[in-house]
Amino acid sequence: MDIFSGFSLIAHSIPYIVNGVWTTLEIALVSAISGMILGILLSLCKIGRIKILAWLADFYTSIFRGTPLILQLTIVYFATPQLIGYDISAFLAAVITFGFNSGAYMSEIIRSGINAVDKGQFEAAGALGVPYGAMMKDIILPQAIKKILPAMMNEFITLTKESAIVSTIGVLDLMRRAQVVAAENSLYFPPLIVSFVVYYILVMILTILGRLFERRMSRSD
Amino acid sequence: MIKVEQLHKSFGNNEVLKDISLEIKKGDVVAIIGPSGSGKSTLLRCINLLETPTQGHIFIDDQNVTTINNRNMIKIREKVGMVFQHFHLFPHKTVLENLTYAPVKVKNKTKQEAVQKAEELLKRVGLSEKAEAYPSRLSGGQKQRVAIARALAMEPEYLLFDEPTSALDPEMVKEVLDVMMDLAKQGMTMAVVTHEMGFARMVADKVIFMDQGQILEVASPEEFFSHPKTDRAKDFLEKVL
Ligand SMILES: Nc1ncnc2c1ncn2[C@@H]1O[C@H](COP(=O)(O)OP(=O)(O)OP(=O)(O)O)[C@@H](O)[C@H]1O
Ligand SMILES: [Mg+2]
Repeated sequence: MDIFSGFSLIAHSIPYIVNGVWTTLEIALVSAISGMILGILLSLCKIGRIKILAWLADFYTSIFRGTPLILQLTIVYFATPQLIGYDISAFLAAVITFGFNSGAYMSEIIRSGINAVDKGQFEAAGALGVPYGAMMKDIILPQAIKKILPAMMNEFITLTKESAIVSTIGVLDLMRRAQVVAAENSLYFPPLIVSFVVYYILVMILTILGRLFERRMSRSD
Repeated sequence: MIKVEQLHKSFGNNEVLKDISLEIKKGDVVAIIGPSGSGKSTLLRCINLLETPTQGHIFIDDQNVTTINNRNMIKIREKVGMVFQHFHLFPHKTVLENLTYAPVKVKNKTKQEAVQKAEELLKRVGLSEKAEAYPSRLSGGQKQRVAIARALAMEPEYLLFDEPTSALDPEMVKEVLDVMMDLAKQGMTMAVVTHEMGFARMVADKVIFMDQGQILEVASPEEFFSHPKTDRAKDFLEKVL
């Protein structure tokens, strides 16, 4: 069978595959937001004065960076439920794993952003009597996050691509849907190419949006 | 009154302040001068609780600030304003927001009160038209005037200046010194670390000369500039004048 008749054979399934993009985006977005919140908390622990919190946050990070993501996902979805007997949907397992995982990476990015903020900013806020929490929230983090916007955008794009491994636990994302169509038709090339192209376009759109956003942010100074 | 008693400060094995004692009375302008590395900034930073002394005591209005808890520390910092060499304005806030942020956050002023006060202060430092500008749009001299206004917005009783004109282009020094002179005239209590000898001579009530972590001379400006007692002060004055 030539390649064109392959595509026409699965033509009616193409919208089904393409619509997987929403699941992919949903996982990436929910994970990125929870990862960012977690990352902020972890980075504050890391730079804070309380040694035990700093140590715990570092330990957390090293665990999530030191093991394969696919293994973390499998543990959350298959192993832990068996151990303590709860039921978890594949989507929830995916979001939890990716959120925790991305929190580890984000915390390192945010920490580097905080360290890149001029020490004088801490002193100026301190000299005005601004309490630590308010200083972090209103003065330091806004400047830190602006500095690390490109790195965070990168993290989000990585997340979008890596989320394809949720196909291994049956979440019907872009990747999984291509596999489903492939299996139904015993025809691999066309459906996989469809998801291939959609991933690529998605990442390009995100890259462009990221650049536009950065440009807008840098205009204020 | 600010009173420093037998203050010592070390960074590791490096003793940067050695047995410093001094007094700054209400309404006084004290100029602190001395060669680079003599510990002037560290002294100011100790007074403002940005550094913790190794030994000795600092009293601000009879409160011993070397043994202070967090809540009272904020009270003291409200009372003692600080102006830095490199301004340290908040770059992501407009000039007006720079001035209103701390009064609202720390002194629990209403937005309206804070804005009114800020506008008054901007007028006083001659920058009313820059209220909505971001700091990156200002010249060095303008930034430093905003920084002074920001400190004043907290209505401090004492104002510490750490080389407020050292980072400025020469043509901008005067506009900042003018603002400071104006403050002095209005009776603000100030401690000014400066290399501007003309300013020290004209405005200060008292000159403190430091070298290698010690206070070597405390004198009136006339006395100090015309009859320095120590050789090190003579050397220093020869170099800068
Ligand atoms: N955070 C710090 N850690 C270690 N050493 C420090 C620190 N801050 C200051 N020092 C040291 O303390 C000494 C005095 O520094 P300080 O900044 O107080 O001097 P200064 O009189 O303000 O000098 P300058 O005129 O250059 O500003 C210097 O030798 C400096 O290296
Ligand atoms: Mg200094």
